Amino acid sequence: MTAVTMNRSSLWSIDSRVIVYSAIGAALYGILVSAQLPVPGTTAVSIRPAFALVPFFGYAFGPIVGFFTGLVGNMIGDQISGWGALTSYNWSLANGVVGLLAGLGPLYIGRWVAGSSFANRATAAAVAGAIAVVIGFLLAFYDMIKDQLDFNAVLTTEYLPVVIVDVITTAVLVPALLYVWLPTAERTGR
Amino acid sequence: MNFVPRYLGRGSWLARRDPRLLVVGLVCFVFAAIQVWDIRLMLVLVAIAFAWYRSARIPFGEVRRLWVFAIAFVSLLVVMNGVIASGRVQQVPGDLVHLYGYLPVVGTPVSAESIVFAATQFLRFIAMIAMGFPLAFAIDPGAFGVTFARLGVPYRFAFAVDLTWRFIPSFAADFRTTIDAQRVRGLDLSPTGRNPIANLARQVPVVVPTVVNAITGAEDTIDAMDLRAFGTGKRTWLHELRFDRTDRIVLVAFAALLIGATIAAWTTSSALLWVPPFMIPG
Repeated sequence: MTAVTMNRSSLWSIDSRVIVYSAIGAALYGILVSAQLPVPGTTAVSIRPAFALVPFFGYAFGPIVGFFTGLVGNMIGDQISGWGALTSYNWSLANGVVGLLAGLGPLYIGRWVAGSSFANRATAAAVAGAIAVVIGFLLAFYDMIKDQLDFNAVLTTEYLPVVIVDVITTAVLVPALLYVWLPTAERTGR
Repeated sequence: MNFVPRYLGRGSWLARRDPRLLVVGLVCFVFAAIQVWDIRLMLVLVAIAFAWYRSARIPFGEVRRLWVFAIAFVSLLVVMNGVIASGRVQQVPGDLVHLYGYLPVVGTPVSAESIVFAATQFLRFIAMIAMGFPLAFAIDPGAFGVTFARLGVPYRFAFAVDLTWRFIPSFAADFRTTIDAQRVRGLDLSPTGRNPIANLARQVPVVVPTVVNAITGAEDTIDAMDLRAFGTGKRTWLHELRFDRTDRIVLVAFAALLIGATIAAWTTSSALLWVPPFMIPG
């Protein structure tokens, strides 16, 4: 059963399905996050197509899966890239919060989700993911305390670029993933 | 990039330690380091971090690219922060800095304080990265689950961590297969043009099949777990972890480092920027 059709209480149950989907999401995110597309005209900003997995797994399989995918997947990606799993732990937590909030999306925009078309459900997922990105990455401002970074530096080199590219990534790839996944899930009874 | 978890530190002094020590040690170190702004103490932390790193005996040739990336990224972050902060150092009021001059073009003030601040930031990141490397390369990949379980993480989450590490090699292989298959069909994945959305959309034929294949294959794992009654009772692990005497001593040392750094941050100037006297003009 996907989160799209879950009720409020079952969102928080942890069974074998939640564990396996969490592990799949984190492993995929950890692997694919290294594939980045530079944004022309910027220095440190790149689009990470894999980021879409965080809101997608959250929206499709629930907040626990989304949180685990973002948190552990980002830590693994950081570790694989040489940055270190805990060097920017607040960013991993931010990714986790994005997955968590996207997973709560079906509860709050259920009107669009219940019994509506694939297009509406895909749009709802993109909106939930975008809102989750804007809120979740506020944890980037913890860098002001942790690394004594300047507010303007965090805002202009970290928060805004990341939010903009991740909202775009979410808007493009989450609907594409759902568009393929939802019919498969319904056909196989998941 | 090699995605498969590699046990590069196999047989080293650090690899023989209880893996919980590597996790707890890193956590203690990171939280100690973020409280230190005195560059003299930061150099001590850097020395500790590289001693720790060296004890993992990770062949440099295997991680050279990772170090290049890390140093380049840290340098960029520190320089960008210095430029955008316009020479402001959060702990030092603007009228107390010792100004050297201004950067050409951007006009950012350069002072003794801003240089020391940037150097301390750089060293801190490098120290944390050096401490973090052994976590990836000096722990038996098969011991991740039990490590987190014995650290008090609920066993379902510990199992998910274990499963994540086990999935990585097979998903990485699937990812490469998908890329090859799409290239054979004539798909060009390299970014073309300046439109980031168009470039992103070009990734859909690779990302979507990889993800959906992984998810549809999950049922086998779920069935296997359900058939073994996963989640119905307390779980045991194949690996048994035990702290030996050396582990306990090192653990106490890391705990002392964290406690010492916390107390020092409140009672001494360790949390304040220290500028070497020779850098102060006049």
